[in-house]
Amino acid sequence: MSWRRWLAMGEVELSCLAYVKMYLHACLFPRCSVNGLLLSSSPAGGAVCVTDCVPLLHTHLPLAPITQLALTQVDVWCAQTQQRIVGYYQANACVSDSSPTPCALKIADKIAEQCNNAVLLMIDGGKMSPDYRVPPIVMYERKDTRWTLKDKHTIMLRQWEETRDIASQLLDSGDHSLLVDFDSHLDDITRDWTNQKLNAKIAELASPANGNV
Amino acid sequence: MLYESMSFLYYLNPEKYKLRKWREDNHRNSEQIVDVGEELINEHASKLGDDIWIIYEQVMIAALDCSRDDLAWTCLQELKKQFPGSQRVKRLAGMRLEALEKYEDASKQYDSILQDDPTNTAARKRKISILKAQGKSAEAIRELNEYLEQFVGDQEAWHELSELYINEHDYGKAAFCLEELMMTNPHNHLYCEQYAEVKYTQGGLENLELSRKYFAQALKLNNGNMRALFGLYMSASHIAASPKVNATVKKANVKYAAWATNQINRAYQLAGRGTKENKCSVKAVEEMLESMQITMS
Repeated sequence: MSWRRWLAMGEVELSCLAYVKMYLHACLFPRCSVNGLLLSSSPAGGAVCVTDCVPLLHTHLPLAPITQLALTQVDVWCAQTQQRIVGYYQANACVSDSSPTPCALKIADKIAEQCNNAVLLMIDGGKMSPDYRVPPIVMYERKDTRWTLKDKHTIMLRQWEETRDIASQLLDSGDHSLLVDFDSHLDDITRDWTNQKLNAKIAELASPANGNV
Repeated sequence: MLYESMSFLYYLNPEKYKLRKWREDNHRNSEQIVDVGEELINEHASKLGDDIWIIYEQVMIAALDCSRDDLAWTCLQELKKQFPGSQRVKRLAGMRLEALEKYEDASKQYDSILQDDPTNTAARKRKISILKAQGKSAEAIRELNEYLEQFVGDQEAWHELSELYINEHDYGKAAFCLEELMMTNPHNHLYCEQYAEVKYTQGGLENLELSRKYFAQALKLNNGNMRALFGLYMSASHIAASPKVNATVKKANVKYAAWATNQINRAYQLAGRGTKENKCSVKAVEEMLESMQITMS
């Protein structure tokens, strides 16, 4: 069965790779707010398939220079790799409040200028325990000029349990420290914010050889 | 027997040293501290001498950070036994209550410390941390301002206040806090760079020029600060591209941006040597710098 055929307009599919990296980003900096960009390698039009993400910051999210720099660099990288920026994610430091901050709305607005079915994803820190039955995420979409809550049933996460297990495995093995966000890259520019190494590890865990499809 | 206990001590020293180094550097590597500290406490407590008490404190705080209430409780009991009635231990008990999200009880604990000792800065700061944890930013800001009127030299507090203001998008006040920090720490490149970032965010030509100056200053203090280097590049480029500047200013900023471009390219070439890993980031930077040069001219 092709999932693509079942994805109608307004639906969003979140890949294992994107989810795991976002989750690990939030776990790597538990005392900070973190954010990042959601990418798609699928062509525009129809459903939004989030196939990857780029973790951006864990310090000073509201400040402009580094955010602008990161957006520009990710733009360039996307053009080089046939991807598009289709959304934005954020996890707030304060777990009791998972609503989008003004800075989240601002960046999401900017992304929506270039991508009309862009999504804004908030990670709900209070629901991140490893045995949680549903993904700890809340999604927003742009209706007119406001970001409104998306119907949970329009968000698809293929094989959620396997995805969740992969994330837990990487946490337990300490491999989450392999994740490089843009902030860490600026601290040491030999570190790769496209996370090729971590991507490979996740792909390995998700491969058919491990019993997953 | 002597030989055995000597080799035991020899084994202990590296771990003790690690914990001490982390204490002195104020590292928040809590998982590591719990790992090393728990083993030290469980297996070798008798051999640690008087160091055990500061280790209990360090491990307790790290345990709270890792949600290890079992370990934190053990440490706290030992400290309570050894130092009954101590304000320092009372504060640790308060921190444990905070970790359990029992904020009212924690607050009462700190209030009782302050009753006996109104100048206890640690207890006052913990109370402000509670407000922060509860998401009560406006109150936290107000309390922190009051605190700083009394304890105007507390660097940590000034920095905390600047972070709170940044999160509230109150950039003017954040800049004020960073100005205080720069005055008392003129050699700290991080404060210069953060100040420059705040000015850049405030926007407008005057603020952009200030941001460029302070990015440059940060670079003077530490030429490896990549944020400052990129910041200099971006602020100079924006000034040069502004229709409001005259030809002289434009020319000067084009020069600054070009210098920064060079430095960035060099840094990335150096970083790219030998590692296939970050080829993507290097290429992205190159292209970005090229494209921005076009928009500037």
